[in-house]
Amino acid sequence: MALSTSKMALPLGHLAEEVHIAATRTVWRKIAERLQAEAPNEACSFVLVRPSRGRRRVTAILGEILWPRPGEVVATPERLELSADYITRALEAAIDAGPMAGVCLVHTHPSSRWGRGVGAFSPRDDWYEKRLFPTMTMDRAGCLCASVVIGSEGDVDARVWWRDGSNVMTQAAQAIRIVGPELTILETSASPWKDHPDPSVMDRSTRLWGKQGRKRMQNLRIGVAGVGGTGSLSTFALATMGVGKLSLWDKDIGKKENRHRTVGITADFVGRSKVEALQAMARCVATADPFEVEAVEDWATSEESLQRLKDCDLIFCCVDKFAPRVPLNDLAYLHLIPTIDMASWMHADQQQRIDALVTHAHVWSPGIPCAWCRGTLSSHLLTQEAQGVQRGIERRVAYGLPAEAIDGVEPSVLPLNMLGVSLALMQFLQVALKITSRTPNDLKFFLPEWELDESDLPAQTDCICVTSIGVGDTVRIRPVTVE
Amino acid sequence: MAASEELASAVADLSERSGHAFQISPQVVPGTNLYVVHTNDHDFRAAYTVERGVLGFRVPGNFPDAGPEDNFFIAPVDTKLRSADAVRNSIDLNRAGRAEGYVTGSALGTMRVLVFSWHLWNAVPWNRKKHTLMDHYTHCIRRFEMAENG
Repeated sequence: MALSTSKMALPLGHLAEEVHIAATRTVWRKIAERLQAEAPNEACSFVLVRPSRGRRRVTAILGEILWPRPGEVVATPERLELSADYITRALEAAIDAGPMAGVCLVHTHPSSRWGRGVGAFSPRDDWYEKRLFPTMTMDRAGCLCASVVIGSEGDVDARVWWRDGSNVMTQAAQAIRIVGPELTILETSASPWKDHPDPSVMDRSTRLWGKQGRKRMQNLRIGVAGVGGTGSLSTFALATMGVGKLSLWDKDIGKKENRHRTVGITADFVGRSKVEALQAMARCVATADPFEVEAVEDWATSEESLQRLKDCDLIFCCVDKFAPRVPLNDLAYLHLIPTIDMASWMHADQQQRIDALVTHAHVWSPGIPCAWCRGTLSSHLLTQEAQGVQRGIERRVAYGLPAEAIDGVEPSVLPLNMLGVSLALMQFLQVALKITSRTPNDLKFFLPEWELDESDLPAQTDCICVTSIGVGDTVRIRPVTVE
Repeated sequence: MAASEELASAVADLSERSGHAFQISPQVVPGTNLYVVHTNDHDFRAAYTVERGVLGFRVPGNFPDAGPEDNFFIAPVDTKLRSADAVRNSIDLNRAGRAEGYVTGSALGTMRVLVFSWHLWNAVPWNRKKHTLMDHYTHCIRRFEMAENG
């Protein structure tokens, strides 16, 4: 925002170990394209921000764009002047959006007669924002504000602003996550990302996804919700492929009868927590350097775990039941964390031949219809599941038939789990590394037809995956604990 | 585990709007994730041999994502029709069967109940963002009133 030679001291604070900015691909494109089209003039817009507070990471999620009206901003190639009316309008919009909502000032540094515009805050930016954000956060201790600068080649820098008592503090953001059918992560000047120290060990995969892909794999944090049949295989694959940070959730204990359809639960780990077993296995096979794997002995959808999941860049949903899929599906859209769900269902006839099988892998992310729209989740299925051992009781007792207790346990075999995980891993490569031009919708493999099908069901217009994208902590996600 | 705040609040709302004192079981029915929601003093149809009694239904712990079960129950179980249903030539209540262990975990204990099953929500699937327990109760009563026509 124009030029000045003196460097301002900013009121630096510590909001969280990690700070990110996130936006849907649609919002980011609108902002970047329109503001960059104003070159050679600088350009800016306020955007509403909602927080997503994890345990180690806070993310400022960009939402509604408050474009300046004619006369509200005076722009030249060197500077921007924002009118008091525009600032007031942005502040009122944030207040109307609730106590957690703040504003983000996004502006550009276009190319000019002095050369290309650099995506870095200028001393004048520092000077201006140090005066702007005390106003934007006044009497609004719960709100989170942010600022982003976009250079002429798409390079960026960003920071967040918040009120701490009578002071306004700022902290540099380390990345901007742009989330749609694929996940793009833009590094800022504060990015801690490092490449693999010995790229030669990753040679064959680097030939597919390149140096940038290798660096991304090395630095992504991926959550695995459930480390049973599909989650254990996912963990094995992600660690082997070079993902640098894994967080594993499961409250179950490894049993000897789990071993024939999972990986990692060696004889030594029978009777111990599954995540402990998978943590040990992941460390054995990991190729990232450094490699970090945390084991959380809890359900992924408890109140505490849902907060920790907000630290992840991407989640693998490997839970058994429908009920925990509800909060995980919500998390994907409300907090802009792409989630890859996988599940299988199989039935064998009396001759022990498969008469019905489906295994699916489905990306939940803005721009792709969610589990409710796909029919993976429905209130009817959830009610049936809640009936537990009395499933279908209304179809018997009401007609004078005795209730029959069922255990609800379905067949599960390793190749079936591997098939679902393989589909999910291909989708992961697409979401994280964009290995093809399009992310598929829900993929399902059917037996006895031996067919792979892609769903063409659209999003429902009143679904949360359309109406509540990026609302972050302003909407509570109900925890689910399945004992 | 006690019911969620959402479910407890929904039951309180149902009581206020229906005028009946509905209560929720302190725990789920064993082997399920279903809470029992019932009132002890609900008026029955004039055609029944019992004028008032228990009326309730079961609701999943993850309400409202999951809707109430597609049925409801009454007690006492020996409630009959005062005169035989002309179509079936029976004084048994139509499409209602006796169930044991259906309300275990609630204040009703091991009481046997008459479970009605009329696929209440088949025409309009439960909508987690729109429907309330009052909607479900209204459906139950509507079907209850036309029991012998179903």
